[in-house]
Amino acid sequence: MEQVLVNSIVAASVYALLSLGFGLIFSTARFFHFAHGAVYAWAAYVAFTVSALWGWPLAIGIICGIVAAAALGSACELVVYRTMRRRGASTLTLLLSGLGLYMVMQNGLSLVFGDGNKALRTWPAGEGFALAGARVTGVQIAIVIAASLLLIAVWLLLHRTGVGLRFRAVSNDQDLASAVGTHVDRSILLAFALGSALAGGAAILISLDVDMTPNMGFIGLMMAVAASIVGGIGSIPGAALGALIVAFAQQLSAWWLPSQWQDPIAFGILFVFLIIRPQGVFGQRIKKASI
Amino acid sequence: MTYLLHVATMIVIYTMLACSLNLLAGYCGLVSIAHAAFYGFGAYVGALLAIRFGCDLLVEMACVTLVVGMVALLVGWPALRILDDYFVLVTFALQAIAFGVFNNCVSLTGGPLGLPGIPPPSLLGWRVSTHLGFLGLTSLFCMITLAFSFLLVRSPIGRILVCVREDEVFAKVLGKDVVRVKISLFMISACFAAVAGVIYAHYTTFIDPTSFTINESIFVISIVIIGGAGSLSGPIVGAVILVTLPEVLRFAGLPSDIAANSRQIIYGTVIVVMMMFRPQGLLGKYRFER
Repeated sequence: MEQVLVNSIVAASVYALLSLGFGLIFSTARFFHFAHGAVYAWAAYVAFTVSALWGWPLAIGIICGIVAAAALGSACELVVYRTMRRRGASTLTLLLSGLGLYMVMQNGLSLVFGDGNKALRTWPAGEGFALAGARVTGVQIAIVIAASLLLIAVWLLLHRTGVGLRFRAVSNDQDLASAVGTHVDRSILLAFALGSALAGGAAILISLDVDMTPNMGFIGLMMAVAASIVGGIGSIPGAALGALIVAFAQQLSAWWLPSQWQDPIAFGILFVFLIIRPQGVFGQRIKKASI
Repeated sequence: MTYLLHVATMIVIYTMLACSLNLLAGYCGLVSIAHAAFYGFGAYVGALLAIRFGCDLLVEMACVTLVVGMVALLVGWPALRILDDYFVLVTFALQAIAFGVFNNCVSLTGGPLGLPGIPPPSLLGWRVSTHLGFLGLTSLFCMITLAFSFLLVRSPIGRILVCVREDEVFAKVLGKDVVRVKISLFMISACFAAVAGVIYAHYTTFIDPTSFTINESIFVISIVIIGGAGSLSGPIVGAVILVTLPEVLRFAGLPSDIAANSRQIIYGTVIVVMMMFRPQGLLGKYRFER
């Protein structure tokens, strides 16, 4: 049981970053940014190229990966989404072009790096040490600490700075924010940069623990969606709680089911939430046009 | 000749898939990413019935329609009551779960190793085993799909669909049961995809989970987009273009491992460019607006 808890916390800390990154973009730009999954995978591969292939220190690799993710996410917004929004595109067209971007970026990754597994970690995995009746590795502890620090940093940015205030205004009501002189496009760009950087961070943390494949973006996006809907889109405590619920359910399910069922389980949870509480634990009620 | 027949058969199968998705996406404005999941459910259920019990093709299709219809009802009933944006997320989830089921229920589906040795189908005693026979069989069912779409779209129900797509609240004001319309359409669309899956399983005689991934769903979506959503001829044109395109690339002499990825990149680029500059596709009427 202790092991289940520890594993859940490690998994949850990565899911929380993913979910927050996805939620920031979703709540500000108001559409399902599908290419987020591919941005996530690219970050891990850039870090891999810099630190494993070129032999530079891991810290530089991590920074390059995160910067690359932020740049890719912003490029999607600047080149495709913003152009489309200016022409009055609907959320559905934005979503579909996101699907296209996902295909392009994910297959680009396969073309450049091949479909095989790659490992970011160059040192042996080690057996880990005992902590309250469970085993954890140093990497896993580092993952939890790094993820918590990032979550706190984003919270401070959103709730304690002027940029964050404008950002929240835009995600609350675009028209009203624009009427009082806020640059809506600038806030959306910030959401893409920040959200993608968070996804990049999550991808790199996860690839320190397990190997990477070009398809990892799909799982990453799945978990981001599941955790952010369960917790409530766009809220930081919601992202953390949603991530914990999903991770705990996955780890617990490994008691009865073979471990490859963990991903379907995450979506089972998502399903249950969509039926009984679609706004998530901390989310606001969804506005739906009705009579 | 065999090669040409093969390409033609694939075009017809994808026309069926695109046509059924077009009913949902083009006429009702509901984009589903789970089309490959239903296609896969159809293929697996049909293949299992054929291998284990040697059923007639019509029996298989009846069972498949029943099973997939139930799945679509179970998924669509909660999903279509909430916001439309969330519908996409639910179908995304369904696609992921379906892949998990195909990949993990090893005793039933063979897992990653796939399901080999699917016998040729027999339709009321007509045993189809030649390439020409398959093209005929596939075209028959494709005709049924197209005819059904035509009749549905031209019927009063078709006008309700377009009304729901253009202005859902207005449809409600007129007293239409919008949720019921959407759920029925989702079930119909899923069943046609599943029927296409049955034919595909018999045609290739071997199926594995990689044929029914999200990339396949996106491929069908790109057929609908390039042909034009909300038009009956759109899916046919889209399927002809996008299925023959990689065959042209094959003659350009790209190595097969690069070709697969570059094909997907082309599909992705096509979607992005179409969405940016011509969201209604080549022949379509619907620009995915709400």
